[in-house]
Amino acid sequence: MSATDASASPFATGDPSKIDAGVALKHPVWQAIERAIERGGERLNPILVKEARQALKSKQFVITFTLLLLAGWVWSMLGVALLSPGVYYAPGGRFMLSGYFIILTIPVLVIVPFSAFRSLAAEREDGTFELLSITALSSRQIVTGKLGSAMLQMLVYYSALSPCIAFTYLLRGVDIVTIVFLLFWTLVASVLLSTIGLVVATVTRARHWQVLLSVLLLVMLCIVTFIWTMSFVSLITDTQVTAFDDVDFWLAMAAIMTFCISHAVMFVLIAAAQISFASDNRSTKLRVMLLVQQTLWLGWMMLFWIRFEDKTILYFFVSVPAVYWTLAGACLMGEAAILSPRVKRSLPQSFLGRMCFTWFNPGSGTGYTFTVANLLTVGIVTVAAGLTAELGGFAAAPGNLDWLVFVTLAVAYVVLYLGIGRLVVLLLRQLGRVTMLLTFLVNLFLAVVGVAMPLFFQAWLEGYSRISYSIVQMTNWAWTLEEAADGNLLSFSLVPIIIYCSAGVVFLLNLLFAIYEVEQVRLVTPERVPRDEHEIHPRNDDSRRRASPWDEPMAT
Amino acid sequence: MSDRPVIDMRRLHRFFGSTRAVNDISFEVMQGEVFGYIGPNGAGKTTSMRILATLDIPTYGDALVDGFSVINDPDRVRRRLGFMPDYFGTYADVNCREYLDFFARAYGLRGNERRRALGHVMGFTKLDGLAEKPIRGLSKGMKQRLCLGRAMIHDPSVLILDEPAAGLDPRARIELRQMIRELADKGKTILVSSHILTELAEMCDRVGIIERGELLAVGTVAEIQRGQITHCQIKARIIENVPAVAAWLGERSDIENIRVDGQLIRFSHVGETGEQAKLLREMILAEFAVAEFGIEQRSLEDVFMHVTRGVVQ
Repeated sequence: MSATDASASPFATGDPSKIDAGVALKHPVWQAIERAIERGGERLNPILVKEARQALKSKQFVITFTLLLLAGWVWSMLGVALLSPGVYYAPGGRFMLSGYFIILTIPVLVIVPFSAFRSLAAEREDGTFELLSITALSSRQIVTGKLGSAMLQMLVYYSALSPCIAFTYLLRGVDIVTIVFLLFWTLVASVLLSTIGLVVATVTRARHWQVLLSVLLLVMLCIVTFIWTMSFVSLITDTQVTAFDDVDFWLAMAAIMTFCISHAVMFVLIAAAQISFASDNRSTKLRVMLLVQQTLWLGWMMLFWIRFEDKTILYFFVSVPAVYWTLAGACLMGEAAILSPRVKRSLPQSFLGRMCFTWFNPGSGTGYTFTVANLLTVGIVTVAAGLTAELGGFAAAPGNLDWLVFVTLAVAYVVLYLGIGRLVVLLLRQLGRVTMLLTFLVNLFLAVVGVAMPLFFQAWLEGYSRISYSIVQMTNWAWTLEEAADGNLLSFSLVPIIIYCSAGVVFLLNLLFAIYEVEQVRLVTPERVPRDEHEIHPRNDDSRRRASPWDEPMAT
Repeated sequence: MSDRPVIDMRRLHRFFGSTRAVNDISFEVMQGEVFGYIGPNGAGKTTSMRILATLDIPTYGDALVDGFSVINDPDRVRRRLGFMPDYFGTYADVNCREYLDFFARAYGLRGNERRRALGHVMGFTKLDGLAEKPIRGLSKGMKQRLCLGRAMIHDPSVLILDEPAAGLDPRARIELRQMIRELADKGKTILVSSHILTELAEMCDRVGIIERGELLAVGTVAEIQRGQITHCQIKARIIENVPAVAAWLGERSDIENIRVDGQLIRFSHVGETGEQAKLLREMILAEFAVAEFGIEQRSLEDVFMHVTRGVVQ
C-alpha cells in the first residue's frame, strides 16, 4: 500500500479534529489566513520545519542571538558615547555601521555556515541520516533543507540587527545603496559558505576526519570573515567611493553574482550527490552544472572582451577554464564506468541523443571526453574572438599571434596531461580499486612531475644558475606557456607541434578506451514501475512523456 | 497470511574486503508473515537487513520488496517498507509529536492524512500521553515504541525490525511482542531479528538461522527440527527397577545419552514416531513399569544451538 493511498489506510479511521484542533479562530478572515498559512506550511521542506523547531529550542541559537543583541546594544551605547557631542550635528552613520557590520558578520559568516556543516555531519554521526535517507526525501531535498535552515538563521540575525542598521542611516553619512550593498553581499557570502560547509560535511563519515575537517573549516571561515570584514569596513569608512556610479562596476558585480549562484548550486549538487544512494546517477547533474558555468564564463568574457578591448582578456579567457577543467576532469575521470540498471533506464536513446548526451553519462571515458570537448569549445571561442578582432581591425586586435600559440598550447597541455592521467588510472584499475581521490592525486602528480623533471634534468646538465628555456622543457607546461605568452616560443617552433600531436594521439587513444562506455544502451524500465508510478500519481502519466527531444517514444 | 512473497532475497552477497558478511542468502517471506531472523553476533543479520532497507547495496544478488528491486527501485521499496534499526536515531530538542510529525512529512504525508497517521501511530504505540515529552527524557522502552511508531508512520506493508526487544524489561518485551503480532494480523509482513529466542519462537511464523553470512536453515521451528535433527528427546517415568531399565535401554543401538533422575529417565532416540511407539511396546513387553512416556519438545534455543556452530568471522 502506498503512503498516499489515504482511503485504504487504517489511519483513515482517526478524526483529525480531535488530534490537533489548535486554537479555533472564529472570524472567517482569520480562518482563511490560517488555512493559507497551513497550506504554505505543508509545502515547506520537512527538514526546514524540523530544524526551525529544533533551532528555537537549541542553546546555540539562544546564546548566539542573545550575544548578537547584547553586542548591538553595547555598540549603540559605546558608539554614541564616542561620537558625542558631534553626534548631534556631524554625520556618524559610517562609524556606527562599521561596528554593526563587524557584529553581524561573525554569526552570519562563521556561525551559520559552521552550523550548516555540523547539522549535516551530526545527522551522519548520530545515524539519523540513515533514517532520513529511507524516507521519501531526496538527497537534494535533505541538502536544500539544511541550507534553508541556515538561511532562516541568517534572516533572524539580520532582523535582530536591522533596527541598529536603520539607526545608522538616521545618523547620516551613509546612503541606502551602501547599506544594501553590504548586507546583500554578506548574505550571498554566507549562503556560499554554508553550501561549502554542507559539502565538507559529506566528505567523510570517519569521526577523526570529521574532527579535522571541522577545525579546518572553522579556521577557513574565520580567515574569510576577517578579510571580508576588513574589506567592507574600509569601503564603509572610505568617503570617496565612486564605484557605485560606474556601469562596469555593476557589470562586474553581476558577473560575480552569477559566479556565486552557480557555485552555490554546484556545491548543493555535490553534497546531494555525495549522500545519494549508491545506484543513483551522481554525475550527470554535475556535468550539466559544469556546462552552465562554462557558458556563463564564456558569456561574461565575451562581454568584457568587447567592452574593455584588452589583449590580456584573451589570456584570462582560456587560463581560468584550463585550470577549472583540469580540476573538474581529474575528478570526473575517477568515476567508475559501471552503470547501474537504474541509471541505464534513463540513458539517451536515439542516435542524435546518444551522440550529444552520452558524454553526460557517468564514467571516466565520458568524463575525459566531456572535459576535452568543453575546453576545446573555450579554445575555439577564444581563437574566434581574437581572430575576429585581428582580421576585422578592431581596436581590441592583439597585433601579433602570441596569444594564439598560448591559447592552443594551454588547451593541448590539458588534453595531454589529463589523457595520460586517465591511461595511468586505467592501468591502475587492472590492479585494484581506484578512487576519485587517487585519480585526482595521480593527475596532480603528473602535472608536478611534468614541471619538475625537466627543470632538475636541465639544471643537472647545465647548472642551476645558467638554466634557460630549451626543448627539454617541453613537458614543463608552466614555463612553456609563459614563454608562449611572452612570444619567445617562435625559436622553438617544434615544441608546439610536438605538444599538439601528442595531445591528439593521447586523445584518440583515450577515445578508443572509452568505447565500452559509449556502447551502453538504455534498459527497458520494468512494466511494474510506470504502473506503480501511475497508482501513486495518477495525474502525472510519465509513460507517454518524452524525457527529452532526443528521446524516442518506445524503449529499445 | 497469503502465499504471495513480499520479501524475496535472491542469492544475496555482501563482501567487505575479504570478509563475506552475507554469502549467498536466499529466502522468501510471505505477506502477513512474521519471519524471525536469528544468528550469533556478526552473522550478517544487520547487513542483510540494511540491504533490504535500501541502506546498502549487495555485492551480488538482489532483494525484492513487493516485486521491486532494492538496487534499481529503492524509492519504491522505501515507500513500502518501514525500518527500525538497532539504534534509536533520535534528535535533540524535539518532542515525540514533533519527531513523528517530521518523519510523516518526510514520507510525504500532508494535512489531515498526516494528522491521522500521527494519531493512529501514537495510539497504537501508546505514546498519546507522552506527545509533548522531549525525546531525551524517554525511557528505553518508550524510545523503542517511538521508533516503531516512526517505522510505521507511512503505513508500510513491510516492517524490518532489527533487535527491537534488546535491552527492554519483560513488560516492554511482552507489549512489543503483542504489537508485532497485531501488525501481522493486519496484514503487515514483518522481518524481525532478535537474540531473545523465546520471544521469537512465540511471535514468528517461520525463522531463518544465519551464521557466518550463510543461511543454515529456514522454516518453522518444527520443520527445522525435523530437517536438521534426526533424533528426539524422550522422557520416561519408571515406577520400579529404574537401573535395570536404564541398562536395557543402554544396550539398544538407537538410544543415546541416557540420564537417570530418580524415577525419570531421559534419552535421545534416533528414529521416526512409529519406532518410538515400537520402543514403548517393547518396554511394556519386557514388563517394565512405565508410568509415563513422551517426547520432549525442543525449544528454538535447542534448535539454534544445534544448527549453529558458534563460529564468528
